[in-house]
Amino acid sequence: MNYCGTSYPRNDGFDKVTGRAGFTDDIYLPHMLYAKVLRSPYAHAKVLSIDTSAAEALPGVEAVCSFKNTPNKPFNTSATMITTNPGMEPVRDQTIFTDEPKYIGDEIAAVAAETEAIAEEAIKLIKVEYEVLPAVYDPKEALEPGAPIVQPKYQNPEHNNICGCIININLGDVEKGFAEADVIVEADIKLPRVKQVQLEPHGAVATYKNGELEILSTTQTPHPSKMIIAYALDMPESKVRVANPPYIGGGFGSRIGLSGKAELLAAVLAMKALKPVKLIYTRKEDTTCSDSRHGGYLHARMGAKKDGTLVALDTTSWLNTGAYCTFGVELVGVCGACGTAGTYRIPNLKYVGHPVYTNQQTAGAFRGFGTPQGNSIVEACIDKIAQALNRDPLDLRKQNTTKNGDRNWFPFELGSVGVDECLDKAAAEIGWAEKRGKKQEGNIRRGVGIACGTHVSNAAPFCVDYNTIQLQFEQDGSFFIRSGIPELGPGSTTAITQVACDLMGVPMETTKLVFGDTYATPFDIGSHATRTLYSVSQVLEKACKVLKKDVLSYAANFLGVDEAELTLDNAIVSGAGKEITMKKLCYEAHLRGKQFLCTECNVPTNSLPWYADAAEVEVDMEKGIVKVLKIAAAHDVGKCINPALCEGQIEGGALQGVGYATTEEMIYVEGKGFINDTYATYKIPRADDRPELKSIIVESNDPKGTFGVKGIGEVGICAIVPAILSAVEDATGVRFTEIPLTPERVLKGLKEAGKI
Amino acid sequence: MEILHITVNGKSMEKLVDPSLRLVDFLRRDLGLVGAKIGCGEGTCGTCTVIMNGRAIRSCVIPIMRAENAVIETIEGISKGERLHPLQEEFIKKGAVQCGFCTPGMIMSAKALLDKNNNPTPEEVRKALHGNLCRCTGYVKIEEAILAAAERLRNGEWE
Repeated sequence: MNYCGTSYPRNDGFDKVTGRAGFTDDIYLPHMLYAKVLRSPYAHAKVLSIDTSAAEALPGVEAVCSFKNTPNKPFNTSATMITTNPGMEPVRDQTIFTDEPKYIGDEIAAVAAETEAIAEEAIKLIKVEYEVLPAVYDPKEALEPGAPIVQPKYQNPEHNNICGCIININLGDVEKGFAEADVIVEADIKLPRVKQVQLEPHGAVATYKNGELEILSTTQTPHPSKMIIAYALDMPESKVRVANPPYIGGGFGSRIGLSGKAELLAAVLAMKALKPVKLIYTRKEDTTCSDSRHGGYLHARMGAKKDGTLVALDTTSWLNTGAYCTFGVELVGVCGACGTAGTYRIPNLKYVGHPVYTNQQTAGAFRGFGTPQGNSIVEACIDKIAQALNRDPLDLRKQNTTKNGDRNWFPFELGSVGVDECLDKAAAEIGWAEKRGKKQEGNIRRGVGIACGTHVSNAAPFCVDYNTIQLQFEQDGSFFIRSGIPELGPGSTTAITQVACDLMGVPMETTKLVFGDTYATPFDIGSHATRTLYSVSQVLEKACKVLKKDVLSYAANFLGVDEAELTLDNAIVSGAGKEITMKKLCYEAHLRGKQFLCTECNVPTNSLPWYADAAEVEVDMEKGIVKVLKIAAAHDVGKCINPALCEGQIEGGALQGVGYATTEEMIYVEGKGFINDTYATYKIPRADDRPELKSIIVESNDPKGTFGVKGIGEVGICAIVPAILSAVEDATGVRFTEIPLTPERVLKGLKEAGKI
Repeated sequence: MEILHITVNGKSMEKLVDPSLRLVDFLRRDLGLVGAKIGCGEGTCGTCTVIMNGRAIRSCVIPIMRAENAVIETIEGISKGERLHPLQEEFIKKGAVQCGFCTPGMIMSAKALLDKNNNPTPEEVRKALHGNLCRCTGYVKIEEAILAAAERLRNGEWE
């Protein structure tokens, strides 16, 4: 191996530091129009009438679209629409525009005009008469008999406002488990709705000509998006191109599938105007009209023997999926499966997950995809068991964690399990032995906490998940790779090229990876589920083997030696005392009408990435201010392909977790919607208020991953909230059951517990 | 339309502009300098940061006529031909770049700091980045890159 394991500089670094990297809003096309969207001011209403004539008459307006003149075929904006396993049906409950808005921000109409200012003015000229209908906002209230029904046509017929189905996981016999338990604890947590707020807002530029639709957009899944758009517009997939331009300013799950609805909104306007249309969401639109993380409630009971062995866990979740399904069902499943059933050996386990429709914006995928919610409740329980048994929470965890060779509920062999090493290293880095459990007096108190967990390295076999790749040698021996993944920011395209070059035996300098364009690349599910590096490496392994065989077989014939004696390394084929450069071999082959190329398709295996996060906090008991001083984040990544990129994922995920625990919360006001819709009011961590972040890479050499690799993308955030809650409890003696830990909430909690 | 006198990346120009534009629109649309990004449009995220008369400013909240006679530096103007500014090189080297959307603004805020103080403390670096949000990196590698670039500037590598 030459490249894997090195911090090879990322392939897009030059473009991104010089301002030359192309993003969606950087596209300016001849005759391009600008779009604006009319959104519902009501959480639930019926459109009685809509009059667009004044808007259409405004000079400079070239297209006005609404539910009246666009297709109303139901679809699902998320990639779940085309990744639901055979035999199951995705919930298709959205249309491009609606005459019955179901949340504040729902799309009623849109305008394309010569300038943004004209488009905005035209939006104001559209007259809509609404009849306001009853609405429901809280997932528990939405399940009550008599609650307003959000999706009468699409809800589960047996339950009020259940989207898809209630998720049930039953392993062993949970009641028997509790009967055997010496100690039983209960925990509750209320989690806020939080937003990805990636720096680049959602957007799309659509061009329609000669029956073909071309869309440049911010999607993190170009191929699935192409399928969703073709389905909604009844077009052949071969005539719909979806590409990134080629970069995306983050995503963190918010654009798995469509970017809000930007692609389809721009498309219908472009098809009507017959000119290119650019739609860039405002920050407010991005924040309040696209998928957020699911907030809601979790309750759990956990039972253990006197010796600390966990015997039962019973968890119920009520998660607010909003007005449309998007990823609602899958995510509530992952919350139970990875978040509650993944980390520990628990023979008797039950999980009931409620994905609940409400009249709020949709909740969908956000880094961690349900696992952070599950980790938050399970880690609260195990801390309580530790207290009940007077055990060290670190030791108790290690007693019960999944071990190498274990089989639990996952329908595949788990791969390498490095969670104990993660726990040890995170604990050592935070100073666990010296700092945990120190009784303190006074106003400023410090504490440390720890939490751990697992997730997945892709979505197989729970969803349709596969990769296709095309490899070819150019006539001068340089190497060309085509993959349908995007470059969302993590550096996936760089790490994947490192893997490809090591597998093939060719240099990075003469290798090009083309990505993020459905016209230029074969199908790939895209970047989500912590899958990109892990799963693309597997299809590369398969394809490089085939292509190498083709090259060596041809070279053997050309050189007159036995193929078995030849190897390809550093772009030179050698063996049996002979050698030929790839440059010469490819050119000689070209002269004889031969190019080395191959296409392969692969369903990835799956392996579990493990992690442990330790936090140190300082609490001002008088002011209720929680300051996170340090996060030590240890991650079992199997094998680290690019340390700088890998650390970047860990640090970035950890800081998002700090925001989740301490400051981030979408605040809903009835009649107004989510009111903190800007960076000024929705507070994410800044450079000057972040804690010390220490990333620790643990390598366990996964037996299934290519070169031993596992996923890293999502897991940085997953256990940060329970680690911080545990640290705050260590400092104050209070386990908070609601986040973020705002000063008001902290003071209230300390007061209620009689601590101040 | 009004006449604007402005110097951008060392080039003085006289342009007819729509006075309702913001500086960021003029840079992106009229001059094609799309390195300054629009992440929020209200001066809170820092992706549109450029240097105006020596200070890092949010170009999305500057009405264009406020830039009359101003000297503007953008991300496109800080390298010397093919040779990257030490900040640009260190951002690549240290892994300070992820999605890249905040990167131009981040580098311009850092440059405004280092132009005045090429020996900043880590706290000074963090303070200078207060108005530049990044949702990808955790800021660790960004700080490392800026401190490394400062050291190279002190060593006279960019003379």
